[in-house]
Amino acid sequence: MYGKGLRSLSIATVAALAVGLSLVFFYAPLDADQGFIQKIFYLHVPLAIVALLGFVAGGVFAILHLRSGDSRWDAYSYVSIHMSVIFGVAVLITGSIWAKASWGHWWVWDEPTLVSFLIVFLMYATYYPFRYAIEDRDRQARYASVFAITAGAFVPLNFTAVRLAESLVHPRVFATTGGGLPGSMMLTFLVCLAAMALLWVTLVKFELTAKSASGQLKRLRRALDAPSPAAASRIAPEVR
Amino acid sequence: MPALPLDEAGKYVAGAYVVFVVLIVIYVSIMAIKLQRIERELRELASFAEQRSDRDTSEGASNSDSSRPSEVVAVGIQGEPHPPPADAERSTRAESDV
Repeated sequence: MYGKGLRSLSIATVAALAVGLSLVFFYAPLDADQGFIQKIFYLHVPLAIVALLGFVAGGVFAILHLRSGDSRWDAYSYVSIHMSVIFGVAVLITGSIWAKASWGHWWVWDEPTLVSFLIVFLMYATYYPFRYAIEDRDRQARYASVFAITAGAFVPLNFTAVRLAESLVHPRVFATTGGGLPGSMMLTFLVCLAAMALLWVTLVKFELTAKSASGQLKRLRRALDAPSPAAASRIAPEVR
Repeated sequence: MPALPLDEAGKYVAGAYVVFVVLIVIYVSIMAIKLQRIERELRELASFAEQRSDRDTSEGASNSDSSRPSEVVAVGIQGEPHPPPADAERSTRAESDV
């Protein structure tokens, strides 16, 4: 069920990433201020935006889970958060590389954008021990959903608070003052953003498919372990 | 088409993109290992199901050779314990194992 359309989605993702990287290195002009270092932004910023939106999506799926009680939404929420945490690791590392090249330091503690993202990342890093500390599966799913909703609501609040902060050492891609991005850079950035979003969706779908296959396998094992062949005949058609 | 200025800045840009690719490769590798495990378990279950099917077939054949076939077959069917009704409920839970 989850694997439907995964192949075409994967092809679209690879194509979008190829087009995005080609635009980054062969179409987008060099930034007058930062030079070649600015190329990192076409990777770092889309990763950050998709990761943060993924956290919010995890919260939305958690709301759907609590409303319907359908465990599929819990799986969506878990995988969304999981994928966004992985993207978050990439955001922190690529951001640190840019900071070292541009500011001369791997990390700057008085910069609100960096620290706020780290706080969000660490908050979601506690999702796993929190979730798996609860043995009862129903309770685990419910508590994890509450966490995902609360943390998901914190993400846009945190983002807004940082944007309103006075210290703006960290460059703004979508600046409301001072020009913003020129057309060719904006096009490149939007293609990279679309490619990252596609990558996120593809990997989420990939992981959901793997988890579904694993779950179906457990069902099959239980059915075959049962003493009667009647149970196996009930389960087998769904596994095909 | 601008030439790529792979000077001092080049190594940082290359580093950032390499980190991204490495992370994706690590993730895909972990998923590939999981899928290999699923495939192996599926193979084991398939062989187990085949053995069970063969055993059931051979038992059925030996039962039909018996002097009182109808009686023995009736015991074979009725004597089978029925699966617990909770099985269906457990199955729906397993689908979303995370």
